[in-house]
This record gives sequence, structure tokens and C-alpha cells, in this order.
Amino acid sequence: MNLPLVLGVATALFGIGLYGLLQRRSLVAMLIALELMLASISINVVALTTLTGQDPSMGQVVVLIFVGVAAAEVAIALSLFVAIHRAAHDIDVEHLSELKG
Amino acid sequence: MSVAGWIFLASAAVALSGALLAVGLRNIFHNILGFALAMLGVAGIFASLGSDFLAAVFVLVYVGAVAIAMVYAVMLSHPLDQPHRPRNRGKILAAAVVSAGVAMTLWRVLQQAQWPALVPGGDNGAALTGTRFLTDYVLAFELVSVLLLVAMMGAIMVARRARPGRGTW
Repeated sequence: MNLPLVLGVATALFGIGLYGLLQRRSLVAMLIALELMLASISINVVALTTLTGQDPSMGQVVVLIFVGVAAAEVAIALSLFVAIHRAAHDIDVEHLSELKG
Repeated sequence: MSVAGWIFLASAAVALSGALLAVGLRNIFHNILGFALAMLGVAGIFASLGSDFLAAVFVLVYVGAVAIAMVYAVMLSHPLDQPHRPRNRGKILAAAVVSAGVAMTLWRVLQQAQWPALVPGGDNGAALTGTRFLTDYVLAFELVSVLLLVAMMGAIMVARRARPGRGTW
């Protein structure tokens, strides 16, 4: 397997996720894009530990911790979206500008 | 090319096309389906790299749990049968320029980097990973479990509707 090829795929995934995070207006869609970026980082960690023969099991441990933190993040984010929707009746970021100076 | 190489290419194609669907389509439900497809592709990439356990975890956690949780949030978004609100084209263009710039910069760095000698190998089985989780990395393991517990309790508190006359708690 070709290490730069794997890292290139992860870079493309990161770029797509960044584009979605910047371009979408719905908070749920932005969360999806954020998760895509997180997955690309996980691919990087696994590729760099597996393909260079450094310590594959440590890469797996790190990615499993990523997954746990990402799951906590999704739970908090979705409950915040519910609370925001209850308060503002909208989860469009362009309308959530009450605190804008 | 080896079998793992072909699996990697197919998985990468699935992951990238799923990511494009997750970001590019306007219907939020289609976005979530694209996200699930992208995560299946990422799981395939892990499988082709030899990390079977991570592949299973990604399918279970992301395709199984996170995508389902997001479906519940669909009801919060802009009603699908109503016309889309107009977009600001400048913002879309700026987002495309910034993300393409970041990706191209990272790509240039990848091309110029000196990678260590490629000696694939080492034990990446689930047994060793589990052993290390409960020996070398037990503090991180416990911290993540406490974080998950606190996050779930916090999610319930945040999303809970405050009952009238009983204060916030």
C-alpha cells in the first residue's frame, strides 16, 4: 500500500469536510461535515502507524479514543440543536445572530 | 496490485463520493445518507489497512448510531417541501476557495515530505489493542468513559424542557 496515496485520500476528505463546514447553513449539516473531517484525521493516524510499521495497535487505541470523544460531541451538539430550535425556532446559522455585535 | 490495494481504491471512491453527497446535496436527509455511505467507505479503508476492529467500530458507531441520531435532528431543519431560501453566491465561492486552498497546501506538504522507510507490519489485532487499552492506556480509557457519561447526562439536561414552576433543575 502506498502511504502518500492513503494520506492524499484523507486530505481530499478533509477538504470536502472543510468546504461543507464553511458553506452549509444548517447546524446539522455542519456537524456532518465536521465528522467527515474527524474521520479523515483517523485515516491519517491509522495509515501513519500501520504503513510505517511504527506501532499499529497504538494507532488503533488513539482512533478509538477519537471515536469516543466524537460520540460525546455528537450527543452534546444534537441536544444543543434541540435547545436552540426550541428557543429560536430555527437552526440556520445565518439567523442565529442575536449576539452579533 | 494486491487485493488490499483494490479494496482500498474501491473504499476510497465510496468514501469520497459519499462525502460529496453529504456536503453537496441540499436535502438534509440525503446528506445523512451520504454521510453513512462515506463512513462505510472509511471503514473499508481501515479494513484494507488491516485494522478490522476499527472497521467494525466505525460501522457500528457512525453508520449505526450517529447517522440514526442525526435523522432525529432532521425535523429541526428547514421544511423540505418549502422553497429554499436564496444563497449568497459570494459565501459559497469563498468557502470553495478556502477549502481548496487548505487541501492544496496539505497536498503540497504531502508531496514534499520525507516519509520514514515503509516497513508495514506489527500486530494490529483487536486482542493487543484491547490489552493495551487496559494496561498502558487505562487512564485515557477511563477518562473517555467518564467523558461519555458526563456528555450523555449533559445532553439530557440541555435538551430537557424546563417544567413550569420548578426552576431550571
